[in-house]
Amino acid sequence: MKFKLTIGFLIGSISIIILIFLSAVVAVIDYRVTAKLDGVLWTIPAKVYSRPMELAEGLKLNQDNLTRELEMLSYERVSNPDRPGQFYLSNNSLRIFLRGYQDQRSGIFDVEFEQSQIKKISNQLGIAEDLIKLEPIVIGGMYPAHMEDRVLLNWPEVPQILIDTILTVEDQNFFNHYGVSPKSISRAFLKNIQAGEVEQGGSTITQQLAKSLFFSSEQTIRRKVMEAIASLLIEYHYSKEEILLAYINDVFLAQSGKRAIHGFGMGAQHFFGTSIKNLSTDQIAMLVGMLKGPSMYNPRRNPINATARRNLVLKVLNRSNKIDDSNFESLKNKPLGLSAPNYKTETRYPAFHDLVRLELQKNFDEEELRTTGLAIETNIDPVLQESLENSIRETKEQLIKKYGTQLNDLEGSAIAVDITNGEIKSVVGSTSPSSFGFNRSINAIRPIGSLVKPFIYLTALDKYNEYNLTTILDDSELSLVSGGKVWEPDNFDKKFHGEIPLHIALWQSYNIASARLGLKIGFESVEKMFLNLGIQKAVPKYPSMFIGSFELSPYEAIQAYQTIAADGFYTPLRSIRQIKDTKGQLEFSYPYSIEQRIRPEPVALLKFAMQQTFIRGTARGYPLDKIESWNAGGKTGTSDDQRDSWFVGFAGELLVLVWLGFDDNRPTPLTGRTGAFQVWKNYINAINPVKSNKNTLPRIEYVWTDMRDGLLSGKKCKNSLLVPFIKGTEPKTIPSVRRKCANKLDRANSGALDKLRKVFERGQG
Amino acid sequence: MRFTRITIIVFIFINIWSCASSQSPRDISNYSVPVDNFSKTVELLVANEEFLEEEILKINAQSPSVQRILISADDLLIKQKFLQANSELERAYRITKQDGALYLRLAHLRYKQGLLQESESFASKGLLLSDISSWERLLLNVYLKN
Repeated sequence: MKFKLTIGFLIGSISIIILIFLSAVVAVIDYRVTAKLDGVLWTIPAKVYSRPMELAEGLKLNQDNLTRELEMLSYERVSNPDRPGQFYLSNNSLRIFLRGYQDQRSGIFDVEFEQSQIKKISNQLGIAEDLIKLEPIVIGGMYPAHMEDRVLLNWPEVPQILIDTILTVEDQNFFNHYGVSPKSISRAFLKNIQAGEVEQGGSTITQQLAKSLFFSSEQTIRRKVMEAIASLLIEYHYSKEEILLAYINDVFLAQSGKRAIHGFGMGAQHFFGTSIKNLSTDQIAMLVGMLKGPSMYNPRRNPINATARRNLVLKVLNRSNKIDDSNFESLKNKPLGLSAPNYKTETRYPAFHDLVRLELQKNFDEEELRTTGLAIETNIDPVLQESLENSIRETKEQLIKKYGTQLNDLEGSAIAVDITNGEIKSVVGSTSPSSFGFNRSINAIRPIGSLVKPFIYLTALDKYNEYNLTTILDDSELSLVSGGKVWEPDNFDKKFHGEIPLHIALWQSYNIASARLGLKIGFESVEKMFLNLGIQKAVPKYPSMFIGSFELSPYEAIQAYQTIAADGFYTPLRSIRQIKDTKGQLEFSYPYSIEQRIRPEPVALLKFAMQQTFIRGTARGYPLDKIESWNAGGKTGTSDDQRDSWFVGFAGELLVLVWLGFDDNRPTPLTGRTGAFQVWKNYINAINPVKSNKNTLPRIEYVWTDMRDGLLSGKKCKNSLLVPFIKGTEPKTIPSVRRKCANKLDRANSGALDKLRKVFERGQG
Repeated sequence: MRFTRITIIVFIFINIWSCASSQSPRDISNYSVPVDNFSKTVELLVANEEFLEEEILKINAQSPSVQRILISADDLLIKQKFLQANSELERAYRITKQDGALYLRLAHLRYKQGLLQESESFASKGLLLSDISSWERLLLNVYLKN
């Protein structure tokens, strides 16, 4: 009795323990099922986009750049566009079949150009359209630690053909089972017994989802049991549509570097560079075919396998009457049609990403960026970015050819911004622009050399009752004691130039004249001007700062020059435009902000002197009509012992700054002209900016002056130059030696004639 | 002979001067604001924000594409959706930076947002444009007084 009781007790106890254990296992799996399916699966990394290109009537645009952007977006150049993603470009017209993006519908549009400007846009019916929008390029994402990347699809966004293909190929009985299909399992079991190894899976879609969510891919009985329990629980908690949608969003499709590509939405982006709704049946068949073996059927690595597998999927669809025979025949012969891997989905443009991340950190925490699927629309122009990357890379190669292997380690940085609204269009932080690492655009704090001089001269010109462009400066030997040491600056040409007009001292970049000017106007005035330009640093009070020992990063330097290029209107530089949530609602924006810091007239005078840099100074070489149409101006900079080579210049609506040098600060053989300017030139030549409009300031008048003494001169006099002045500040005297050649009519705006001209201008509006 | 020549030149010059001076600015007449009521209109613009807004929203852009965006921006501005209105205005700004209608709206939007210094700066920037009407100029000047 005692024995029987003990046996019974034992059996009962063991049964209870097993039951408790099983219940615990089920409870744990149940917790994981709901936690995962309600949580992690729906977390999406923030995506970073380039600016979407909008084509509008009246927009000035370089046609070559448009073509490059279409190629980057994987638009196909054809003679007769008849499906989304195709275009035809002739001399002055573009026919494009847009894929559609946000409020932009898909369809055929014709765009007519006239002299780098869009003249007309019309739709397929010939009806005029004001605006059309191209989709942006995904330039990266804010990935979580597990590096899963996905584009979340909602049920209405899932194409029917994708559902049909998945169900036909993977689980024909999906809507009729409870997560596990005994019929499929027994069929697979028999097959495996016959083969003596696990050859075939009988997994339903729910089981595949359970497997991808919780378990490893090893084929063991234990895993199969866990998977079956999880499948039953998934079916218990969720509807069939929810399960299928979770599967579509979560299934693993490929590995791209460290990033795992999950779901068909991301798969479409990764392999075809577009959204799932734009995929054709053969493309969907290829993606579904990859489920059997993401690595074996990866179309980039194994295109033959992928094509064979795609065609098998198409055959299954044909047998199930999802596609007809003729469709099947034409689809199976199509190429895979993959997008170029570099252009669509990888995180690229690391220096720009740094700026975006720094900006985001002010308003968002990391967790939010990694999980809530924010869409970050940036200002980057991918064509300008690629051109800037190519320019710095190619210029380095050219410099190595010229100066030898001593420049192998040459580093650099370049930034291009829209002058007016401060949008950052492109950034590189290294001469190997695609490599992640030290971002020199924000982290290399270097002496800016002569790039500081325009700031000093602007401080003087802003005191327009004391200084104008022809004010005579002293470029004679200077010796003074600074910090207990004797300081004796010299010029780059090692000469002294005596008395020279201010504008010449600037575009010739004379050090001594600049130092004397700085000392005369004083540190306080200069510091105030630095603040107005947007420089946050304190001005060191030693005289060498007037000729370039002052240190800034390229980013800080271009911010200051933005204020100059924009006529005295300071605008904080912006890498991000706006951030939208997963529903497309505006979550946060980075609006165009502006503050008039300096009067436009002194800035106009400075810009004139900076234009002389192109006409006759260190950036000479461009034809005059080009310089004038771009309203170009610039400044070279070279620090002590040629350790830093700088160039900043504006052309059209772009302001571009370049720095070259070594990370260890050793001397280079480069000056601003022979180094950084070459990058600038290669870049500007590649993108060929469109013309920019020049504002006319009523208080500015042009007067012929002599380039040696700065006094009045005439058009027919030797060494004369038409120079702008703020009205009332122009020189008044003509030396007797020039009275003959100087004709009063040469003065563009003066006296009664000027008044007459103004009256006529007002009459014309 | 020399005196006659000088007299003729002076006569021609005075005639040209008087003809040119009598040219009236182009758009004051377009607006048909009676001269004696003009100062009252200016007073009203400064004192009455609603009237000012009405006048600004009447200013059309120079190109249809920009105008289309402005219509959308105006609608958002009226609904007090300032962020979205700004987003639309910036879209238009990327198409052209030479349209007075845009600067007026940007100055007005910033004014509504309480960003008075920015409002003034946009107005100042608009005033640098060479191709704006006198009416636009006058409206922009209203923001300089804020």
